[in-house]
Amino acid sequence: MDYKRLGLKCGLEIHQQLDTKHKLFCNCSARFEDKEPVFEVKRKLRAVAGEMGKVDIAARHEFLKDRMFRYKVYKNETCSVELDEEPPHPINREALEIALQVAMLLNCEIPEEIHVMRKTVLDGSNTSGFQRTALVGLNGWMKTSFGKLGITNVSLEEDAAQIIKKTKKSVIYGLNRLGIPLVEIGTSPDIHAPEDAKEVAEKIGMVLRSTEKVKRGIGTIRQDLNISIAKGARCEIKGVQKLTLLPKIVEIEVQRQKAVINSGRKVTHDVRKALLSGRTEFLRPLPGAARMYPETDTPPIAITDRMLEKIRKSLPELILDKQDRLVKKYKLNKEVANQIIKAGKTELFEKLAKLSYINTAVNVITRYSKQFRVPDQKLIELFSAIKDRRIPKESLESMLEKLSKGKSVKEVTAKGLPEAVSEEEIRSETKAILESNKGLTFGAYMGLLMNKFKGKADGKTIAKVLKEELRG
Amino acid sequence: MYSRKIQAALRKKGLNIGDRILLTKRGKKFEGLLMPQTKSGDAGTIVLKLDNGYNIGIEFERGTSLSRSRTKEPEPEKREAAYELGKKGSTDEIKFDQKKPIVSMISVGGTITSKVDYKSGGVTTLNRPTDVLLNVSEITDITNMKNILTPFTIMSESMNHTHWQSLARECARELNKRSVDGVIVTHGTDTLHFTSAALSFFLKNLGKPVVVTGSQRSADRGSSDAGMNLICSSHAALSDIAEVGICMHGNISDDYCLFSRGTHVRKMDTQRRDAFRPINEYPFAKIWPDGKISMKNDNHNKRDNKKVVEVDAKFEPKIAMLQTYPGSDPGVMEHLIKQGYKGFILQATGLGQVPSKTKSWLPAIKRATGSGVPVFLAAQTIYGRLNCNVYSEGRAALDAGAVPLGDMLAETAYVKLGWVLAHTKTMNRIRDMMLTSYSGEINPRTLVGSFLY
Repeated sequence: MDYKRLGLKCGLEIHQQLDTKHKLFCNCSARFEDKEPVFEVKRKLRAVAGEMGKVDIAARHEFLKDRMFRYKVYKNETCSVELDEEPPHPINREALEIALQVAMLLNCEIPEEIHVMRKTVLDGSNTSGFQRTALVGLNGWMKTSFGKLGITNVSLEEDAAQIIKKTKKSVIYGLNRLGIPLVEIGTSPDIHAPEDAKEVAEKIGMVLRSTEKVKRGIGTIRQDLNISIAKGARCEIKGVQKLTLLPKIVEIEVQRQKAVINSGRKVTHDVRKALLSGRTEFLRPLPGAARMYPETDTPPIAITDRMLEKIRKSLPELILDKQDRLVKKYKLNKEVANQIIKAGKTELFEKLAKLSYINTAVNVITRYSKQFRVPDQKLIELFSAIKDRRIPKESLESMLEKLSKGKSVKEVTAKGLPEAVSEEEIRSETKAILESNKGLTFGAYMGLLMNKFKGKADGKTIAKVLKEELRG
Repeated sequence: MYSRKIQAALRKKGLNIGDRILLTKRGKKFEGLLMPQTKSGDAGTIVLKLDNGYNIGIEFERGTSLSRSRTKEPEPEKREAAYELGKKGSTDEIKFDQKKPIVSMISVGGTITSKVDYKSGGVTTLNRPTDVLLNVSEITDITNMKNILTPFTIMSESMNHTHWQSLARECARELNKRSVDGVIVTHGTDTLHFTSAALSFFLKNLGKPVVVTGSQRSADRGSSDAGMNLICSSHAALSDIAEVGICMHGNISDDYCLFSRGTHVRKMDTQRRDAFRPINEYPFAKIWPDGKISMKNDNHNKRDNKKVVEVDAKFEPKIAMLQTYPGSDPGVMEHLIKQGYKGFILQATGLGQVPSKTKSWLPAIKRATGSGVPVFLAAQTIYGRLNCNVYSEGRAALDAGAVPLGDMLAETAYVKLGWVLAHTKTMNRIRDMMLTSYSGEINPRTLVGSFLY
C-alpha cells in the first residue's frame, strides 16, 4: 500500500503513570498497595450549561439522568480530595519535576507559568466531573529515522478512577487510581507509515523509562492513535496494549477507512477500541473539544530559570545513550548492557567496573544479584578490597553469600582474599601432576588438582586445562 | 491584573482581552487568545489560551513583541473563551410548566450561583443566577419557578443585618402572594445558618415553607451538589412544614437532603456536601430527590396558606459575640462596652462556666449587667444544654448577671439578641424575650439521638 498516496496521517498520544510517593493533588499513597475498599459513596453527575452545543447537552442529560455512579473508597489511597469533598492540595512537586524532565528530553518549550486546567469529563471516572490537567511543554520535537517528529504537548494530569464493574444503569469505580500522576505526550500527525508508529512509540517509551520514575507493568502506560487518510476522517483508537501491534492496527484502520470511502459512504469521526487482533471496534462518536477552563483552586505555578537549570543539570541519560555508552566503553554486548540498565544498576556497574574487573562486575550485577541480595554500598566496599585480583567463581559466590547474610566486608575478607592462580600456573602444575602420577582417572587427577589449588582456581578452568593436557 | 508595562504594550497595538494574538519572544512564537491574569498569577506574565484549550503564562520581557494574529481560532476554543470571560452566560432559557405549583426563588449569591473569576483568581457569582437552573431540568417536573428575584448579590461571609432585612421583606412579599406555595432562598454557605436564624425571627405568622439552600461545590462543575439541593428544596418548599429551614445534603453520597430548623442548624465542616447538621434537634425531615419525605421531627408549624406573613426585622447591630478560653481577656468586652456595644453573647465553656481566677470575667460581667448591658451565655461546645446550677463557677456567672440560654446555638443567640434589643431596652424584658421560644430556638427536651446527627 502506498501510504503516502493515501495521505495517511497518524499521531500518537501516550499516557504514562508516574512512580511518585503521593498522588498529584493530595497526600494519598500512589503505590497501589491497598487490597480491599473500605466503603462506598454514590453520586450523580450533571451536564453543565455552556459546555457544548444544545444537541450535545440534551444527549448528555439523557445519558446522565438515571446513572448513579458508585465509588469505592480505599483506606490509604482515597481521601476527601478524591471524593470531591476537599479542594486540591498544591501540585505534587515530585511529579512536576518528572514532567519537566520529560518535556526537556523532548526538546519542548516550557512556559514561565503553568496553569492547571479543568477538562470536563462526565462518564463518572472523575468524581468532580472534570480532570485536572496542565500543559508543561509545547512545540517539542524528536529525532526519528524518518525525520523530525513534532511533539505537540507534554502535559501533567490526574489519572481517572478505574472501572471495577459496569452495569446498564451504573458503573462501579475504584478511587485508588484517581489522582495518580500521569504524563501525557502528544505527537503531531506526522507519522505517515505504519512501521513508523511503532518506532515513535518505542522511542517515547524509552525516553519515559529513562527518567526511572515511571510505573512499570500492565495498565501503567496507555497508547492511543489518531489516524486519518485523505477523504477519510480522523479516528481515535484507544488502548493499544502491545507496541508490536501498532503497525497492524494502522494498516487495518487505513483499510477500513478506504473500504468506507469506496462504498460511497462518509467516514465518521469515531472513537474506536483497539482489539488484540489488530482490528478496532466502534466505541462512540468523537466528541467535540472537551471544555477546558482554569482550575482556580490552585494558583498558577511559576517555573523559574533556576528551577529549569536545576532540572537541566539533573536530566537523566537516555536509555539509548546509556546502551551505546556501555557497549562502546566496556565492550559489553547489547543484551548484557540492557540487563544492567533494566535492573537500574548502570551507576553501580560503572563504579564497580572502575574498581575491579568488568567481567566480575557484570557477573555480580546480572547473575549473582538474583541469588544474593547484597546492598550496593557493600558491593562497592568489596570491589575496593578485591582491586585487581582474580577471584575464583566459588570464592566470589561464598563471599557474596556471607555478605547477603549480614556479614561485613571486613569480616569476609579478614582471612585474606583468595587469589586465583593464572592459567599458566594451572597448566604447569597439571603437567607436573600428570608427569608424576601416571595412569589415574580423570576424576582422580581433578581431585589432586582441586586439592592443590584449594579455591584459588575454579573447577571449570582446571578441567579445561586438564582435558587439553590429557589430549596431549 | 496585568502590569502597567503589559497594559501599555497592549494599548499600543490596540489589543484587548479575548483577542487572538501572536506573541514572539526570542524567536519563539506563541499564538492564542489573550486571557486576563489572575491575582494569584504574576502580573508580568501574559496568559494565552492555546488552540488545544490549555492556558499558559509567558513572561513579558524586553524583546517580547505582541501583534494581532492573522489566523482564526477554532470554534470550540472561541466558545470556551467567551464563557470563561463571562461574555456569554448561556442564552438558553429554562421552560417551566404552568400547571405546576409555584415556588419563588430569591437568589443572593454564594457558591451555588458561582463561576470562575479572573480578578480574584477564584470563584465568584454568575451573571445570571438562574443559569444554575439550566443544569437542573428536573425542577420543571416539580415546580413552576416563575418568580426569580435577585434583590442583591453578595458572598455570605460579608453579609450583615441589612441583608437579612432586605431578604425578609422579599420573602414576605412572595409568601403573601396567593399563587405562591413556598419560597427558596439560594445563598452562600458560610453564614447560611445566620440568615436562616434571622429569617426565623423576622418572619412572623409563617404559613408556608421558607427553604434556605446553597451548594458546597461550585455550580460550574458536573459534581455540584447544587442540583440535588435545589430539587430537594423544591419538595421542601411544597411540603407541609411551614418553617424557615436549611435544606442541604444529608451525607456525602447523592442520597437525600436534610431539611433542618433554621434556628437549630450549623455549618459543621469547611467543605463537605453534608456540612450542615441539625444541632440539638432532629431535622424536620429527610427529603429524597424523587419527592419522598421521611419526617423525623413533628414539632413544626403546619401549612396554612391563608396566614399573612408580617415582617418584624428591627435589629440592633451593636452587639458582639465573644469566646472565653484559657488566657482570654475580659478587657475585650469592657473595651467594646466603651465603644457603645449594647449586648453580648459569650460562648462559655462546659455547662456555662467562664474563667474566674486570673483574668476573671466575673467582674466585667457584673459591671456590664449592672449598667444595663445584657450578657447571655451560649455553649462553646456547640452541642448540649447549659446549666449554671451544677458548678459553683456556674453559679458565680449567674450571680454576676449572665443568663444561660439553654440549648440555643450561639450563632442563633447572636442574631436573636440583635432582634430583641431592637424591641426593648429593659433588662428583665430582654431576658424574658431571649428565654422565650419564638421559632423553636430553645427546646425544653434534649433527645439523645440528636447528638452528631
